[in-house]
Amino acid sequence: MSDLSLDATQLDRYSRHIIMDEVGPEGQKKLLDGRVLVVGAGGLGAPVIQYLAAAGVGTIGVADNDVVERSNLQRQVIHADADVGVPKVESAANFVTRLNPDVTVEQHHLRVGPDNVESLVADYDVVVDASDNFQTRYVVNDACRLAEIPVAHGAIYKFEGQATTLVPGGPCYRCLFPEAPEPGTVPDCATTGVLGVLPGTLGCIQATEAVKLLIDAGEPLAGKLLFYDAMEMSFETVPYRQNPDCPVCGDDPISSVDEVEYTGGCAVRAD
Amino acid sequence: MDVSVEVVGEERHEVAVDDDATYADLVSAVDLSPHEVSVLVDGRPVPEDQPVEADRVKVLRLIKGGRT
Repeated sequence: MSDLSLDATQLDRYSRHIIMDEVGPEGQKKLLDGRVLVVGAGGLGAPVIQYLAAAGVGTIGVADNDVVERSNLQRQVIHADADVGVPKVESAANFVTRLNPDVTVEQHHLRVGPDNVESLVADYDVVVDASDNFQTRYVVNDACRLAEIPVAHGAIYKFEGQATTLVPGGPCYRCLFPEAPEPGTVPDCATTGVLGVLPGTLGCIQATEAVKLLIDAGEPLAGKLLFYDAMEMSFETVPYRQNPDCPVCGDDPISSVDEVEYTGGCAVRAD
Repeated sequence: MDVSVEVVGEERHEVAVDDDATYADLVSAVDLSPHEVSVLVDGRPVPEDQPVEADRVKVLRLIKGGRT
């Protein structure tokens, strides 16, 4: 290896990356210089954080306002029994520290919302949406699109999951789902349950997309929603297109998340 | 008119609807709530209160889980 910016330990640790033409020392350096924000350190966020840290993504921001609960441990693989009661951002940081000393975790112990989202995402190259509610999903989509930051989106329900990647210039989450459903009309995992390994599959897909975006390799899952059915062990890809009437990425876009009412349907406020 | 309704992850339905039926009616005909889905025609969502004009649609359920 001739790239002296990677030390001997790093050349060893990341050798399976570096040996591949598609990554190489240059790609690994991009990962080490990369900054990814993971919104949610639960079911989806856990495998995302685990694999991004193992891959050597240099800075991982983790945003979550919860503490670890025992009922999380059936699927949230970065948290352990001894972490019950500990803030998830702290537990995540401790996990990453043990896994890879090359990685810095920036802890954001907060709920992502319209008041903090723009300053929060501004410092990151890629955002991974591993949240669990529509307000956060819409506000992350909107703020990231306005700031031209790509988002690796994932969502899960019982035995199924959806993933798509929202890149500047392509369709955004609102091009697929223009407005959020009214609160209470769509069930969540806490009330319906979720297969423990399901977020592992979806989270790994999100982490894969984040890595590809950082090293600028491959084709992102843009304009395509990947649907996964664990019971049938089937994948289906649903193409979708940018909507010219989209209030965030269409012909007459908003200029700030302040123009959106992030309650109910998360609709843009009428003039 | 006859409409082919593909619910993503489930089976395809052939649904006969009245000429003045809306996309919400179409969704209800396959036992889903218009509040929990997006109806896609040629890769773009259509408003649920619009009259059905397409003979082939995809229905995608909104899901939100991931953190808790």
